[in-house]
Amino acid sequence: MTEPLSLSGLDLPRRNGELAFDEPWQSTVFALAAAVVEHGFAGDREPFRQQLISAIAADPGRPYWESWTAALEALTRTLPGP
Amino acid sequence: MSEQGHHPAVPSPIERRVAALQVLLAERGLVPDGFIEEVTRRYESEIGPMNGARVVARAWADPEYRMRLLADGTAAVAELGFSGPEGDHIVVVENTPAVHNVIVCTLCSCYPWPLLGLPPAWYKDPPYRARMVREPRSLLAEMGCSLSDEIEIRVWDSSAEVRYLVLPERPPRSEDMAEAELAALVTRDSMIGVARL
Repeated sequence: MTEPLSLSGLDLPRRNGELAFDEPWQSTVFALAAAVVEHGFAGDREPFRQQLISAIAADPGRPYWESWTAALEALTRTLPGP
Repeated sequence: MSEQGHHPAVPSPIERRVAALQVLLAERGLVPDGFIEEVTRRYESEIGPMNGARVVARAWADPEYRMRLLADGTAAVAELGFSGPEGDHIVVVENTPAVHNVIVCTLCSCYPWPLLGLPPAWYKDPPYRARMVREPRSLLAEMGCSLSDEIEIRVWDSSAEVRYLVLPERPPRSEDMAEAELAALVTRDSMIGVARL
């Protein structure tokens, strides 16, 4: 038998709004950015944030997670070569 | 029965781009095994507005905690175990009968992840980001949060460093409630500042 969910557990985020991701590729690209920040930039989020600002400014009407993807592509191009 | 039903869906262009990024970054050794699944799981189940609700409830129930929270948000939320990406510089702004606070990120989507999870779609969209600065009273009213003209509205634009959280006013008739009951009253939108309780 599974334990009942506590009030502080899984029910509140849904009651308070939507799930974090609509489609699997969105959670993937979110986590990929987290991986690059953590393992490529020693936890410094600012380089990615600047790319995200630029990507959103370049195409304000573009869906958010597509801008996020463009930002991560641009950031990846700044990484030192293999 | 349709013909397509027998075939796997063809990946969309954006899915192919993300898949290509995943391959490239994995080849560079930047994506440890299981990392994507773990991050996704945490943001779908552990990190969300219920965390911020616990902070708000504690501040309502414990005046000394409230003082610490307003003085140093980052340290006070860490007391309850909340920290992590986008949580390095938490500033808590308190609603009063005379002042209503609301948060926005005009340039992108900065948001206090450890306390609220990832932002809702409307928070990231251009109309909210532009209009909340320009005409907060009208936009709040459109979002169902009408404020009388006597109430001052303060709009907090998240900068590179600071992530804001709104401390809503404690609702009337909640005096006898325990902290867990109080936490259940707190909504995500009230901690963004687009709703009152």
